[in-house]
Amino acid sequence: MRRLLSIVLAGALCLGLQCAVSQKLAWQSDAQTKGDAHQMVRFLYPEQVTVVAGKPSVLELHFRVNDGLHINSHEPRAKSLIPTQLMVGEPTGVDVASVDFPPGTDYSPAFTPNDKLSVYTGEFVLRAHVTAQHGDHLVQAALRYQACDANSCYPPKTAPVAISLIAK
Amino acid sequence: MKRNHLVLILVVAALVLMVWAGVANYRRRKAEQERLRAMQAVLMPAAPPASADAGAPPEEEMKSPLEGKTAPPFTLETLQGQKVSLASYKGKAVLVNFMASWCAPCKVETPWLIKLRDQYASQGFEILGISTDDLDKDDKKLNAQDKADIAKFVSNMHIDYPVLIDGDSISHPYGGIDALPTSFFVDRSGKIIAATIGLHDRDELEANIKKALASGGA
Repeated sequence: MRRLLSIVLAGALCLGLQCAVSQKLAWQSDAQTKGDAHQMVRFLYPEQVTVVAGKPSVLELHFRVNDGLHINSHEPRAKSLIPTQLMVGEPTGVDVASVDFPPGTDYSPAFTPNDKLSVYTGEFVLRAHVTAQHGDHLVQAALRYQACDANSCYPPKTAPVAISLIAK
Repeated sequence: MKRNHLVLILVVAALVLMVWAGVANYRRRKAEQERLRAMQAVLMPAAPPASADAGAPPEEEMKSPLEGKTAPPFTLETLQGQKVSLASYKGKAVLVNFMASWCAPCKVETPWLIKLRDQYASQGFEILGISTDDLDKDDKKLNAQDKADIAKFVSNMHIDYPVLIDGDSISHPYGGIDALPTSFFVDRSGKIIAATIGLHDRDELEANIKKALASGGA
């Protein structure tokens, strides 16, 4: 009887938990549940970095552009194009002196083969020069970008960046 | 005996909990599926590609849910502050063309649109360019700069049809403009007879214009 009771209770508990916790349905991707369903660029890593307190350090921020898309580089060739930028919120105790962007690669859209755009595709890395005081800091930033594919362009978006910075 | 009763009560309670959980789960899933169906009915087929094989725009094979329906009415301003309503073009075939100054494919199709308008204006064809460029709503100076940038684009591209600003404000009734250029071909009665997302070739634009001109007349 006791065994029966424990089995039934365990089953009930499992079902109750399953019901209470928000389930991921077939049409919901991980990105959707995290609220960035339509991001075309994602921050990959690092999530946590340890640096020497009080000394200038370089953080390498890795991003990835979805396959089939390109985004303008930090210095697009035409003034009307929207450059990729990083907006950094400096927490107390962290100084972000500058951010280095990689040069863009040349890209000629199929519809204007004679034009050359300066773009990022695939993975690219930004280098942030930071100095942090002793302690744990949360550095939050946002990458602003504007993506296009072979036939369409998409409105500008921002990809969130969060890094736990430990200065020892 | 008392202990057996207690165990029995607990078992019954557990069974009731299991049934409740199952029913609640089923209802929630059903509600989610209904919500998905509703979303699919409204959304435009413009999900950006996320994989290597997504190079070709998937929207080309999909039909806009707005096709066959009356074009959502709107009133927007020109760069000069003049209000323009879609309703005032009833009786004409209208191409509602969502674009932006930063959109490279839009720059490719704009010269085609200018020529096609010249070609078909006498038959009752008009184009309304709907700029989705950001407009700062808090800072007058920045707002003026934003408008100046759009005006520069219009001038550089030699656009001679009306260009209306703040297109994002009418994006929702048009299914959410997720990709540019996006064009809606509206016939003489105000019905959308075709919609395209992304850059399509000139012949396809022209065919849709002809279709709009031929449809909805008295």
